[in-house]
Amino acid sequence: MRNQYPLVAAQKMHYDWIKKYKTQQVSGVSVVASLKSPLDFGLLKKCLQLEIERYGCMRLRFTKPDKNGDIKQYIVEKDTRDIPIKDLSGMSLAEADRLMQQWAYETFNGDDIPMCEITMVKLPEGFNGFFIHMDHRLVDSCAIVVMINDIMQLYTHYRFGAKYPDDLADFEEVLEKDLKKANNEKRFAKDKKFWDDQLDALGEPLYADIQGPSVLEESRKRHGNKNLRAADIELDNLFVEVKDYYLEPEPTRNLVDFCMNHQLSMTNLLLLGIRTYLSKVNNGQEDITIQNFISRRSTHDEWTSGGSRTIMFPCRTVISPETEFLAAAYEIQNTQNRIYMHGNYDPALIAEEMRKRYHTPENTTYESCYLTYQPMPVKMENPHLVNIPQHSKWFANGAATKKMYLTVSHTEQGGMNFSYHYQTAHLEEHDMELLYYYMMRILFKGIAEPDMTLGDIMEQV
Amino acid sequence: MTKEMQFKTIVAQYCKVKPEDMTNEMRFREDLGFSSLDFMSFLGELEDTFDVELEEENVLKILTIGEALDLVNELA
Repeated sequence: MRNQYPLVAAQKMHYDWIKKYKTQQVSGVSVVASLKSPLDFGLLKKCLQLEIERYGCMRLRFTKPDKNGDIKQYIVEKDTRDIPIKDLSGMSLAEADRLMQQWAYETFNGDDIPMCEITMVKLPEGFNGFFIHMDHRLVDSCAIVVMINDIMQLYTHYRFGAKYPDDLADFEEVLEKDLKKANNEKRFAKDKKFWDDQLDALGEPLYADIQGPSVLEESRKRHGNKNLRAADIELDNLFVEVKDYYLEPEPTRNLVDFCMNHQLSMTNLLLLGIRTYLSKVNNGQEDITIQNFISRRSTHDEWTSGGSRTIMFPCRTVISPETEFLAAAYEIQNTQNRIYMHGNYDPALIAEEMRKRYHTPENTTYESCYLTYQPMPVKMENPHLVNIPQHSKWFANGAATKKMYLTVSHTEQGGMNFSYHYQTAHLEEHDMELLYYYMMRILFKGIAEPDMTLGDIMEQV
Repeated sequence: MTKEMQFKTIVAQYCKVKPEDMTNEMRFREDLGFSSLDFMSFLGELEDTFDVELEEENVLKILTIGEALDLVNELA
């Protein structure tokens, strides 16, 4: 009899979205990894099958929901599936990307089934590799990058005699440790106190929209409550568009240097950029909350065990316009450090506490912006592949649970990529243009004159 | 295992330095490569292992292995 385990908080977050939006599509994650080089597909297939053995999270399945709608997870011992190959080499790269984008929209429907699909692909322009489509409850983006690197290390071991990759941590052991931590009553009480204290001190949060105060006003009218502080979320039209902006290496270096010189993390600087924009377009609102994703990967085992360890916590700050840019950045950093210390808490419980205290209506939210900062590039870091051009791409699952979700990552060229995923039901590309433009203006004004107040920055940009 | 070695074994889970190569002067961020999240997770691990309660105000001032070890010794 194999062991069955409850979901950890990060998995529960995805499962809650699946239930709320009534489609598994919201939990899909897909990526293609390829090299401009002929590949031995027989060998690649062997490596992919070996990876399924090595990386336990790929063999994860979920039980049928019980009467309360709850599911459990378990790991099957063997998964000896065939890995198909598809030849897209007759298309243009853009056409191939479009086709793979369609694959990314597909859903895993059913219980006790594999939640991961792998296809080897022959791509145009001499690129060859594999496409992976998975459920986010199995992996987050860090876990995918680790997996891709491990597969390519296996391949270069068998193909070129490179060193065999180190063992990956056992997914099940790390899962058991996580569940034990989550059930530690003393720790739970301390974490709960931290989050409750924040509500005691600051009261109910206040929604701030990318498009300004009219969004909250509409919700207030809809609910017949002029004091409502949360806005409605989109439940029906989840279609998402993605707009990417590229920040060149030199300005990127300026941001990185500012962080290094002032002992700030890039996440906190980005949070400051977003919150200042939200404040600017919401009549100087001081109380702003942004959902920030953190990946709970710190130890070696956590890094290599796979699994879904990325979870979001509300970063709420109340900062007056008289506050200087640098002081505001430190204020956010202090808030974030405290959040990290209590990052084992299940964020669903924070939302539940707010519903209990403030009678927040169903399907409303206090946040319009979500941020992920990924310091880790999506790159196959393998000395045998260093001179071979790569084509790696993440594909959006096409169904956004969030109004605007910004992923910031570093590029191989030393720049930064700002990838805005936005719900087309309410937002247009122009909204993203404005957000990016003002975020950059605010950040570069702030790092040039860190003693300038946020109020002055908002006025001048 | 001594408390100091137990402490350093936990530190070693978060970085590439072996417990026997660690010195009290090593700084978590600059020398061991801890991120803010790593450091805060590590403190949680210390609390669970040594059954101590770390005050947020105090821990944010910690820079080195020696300072963290002193604090744990003081509280445990």
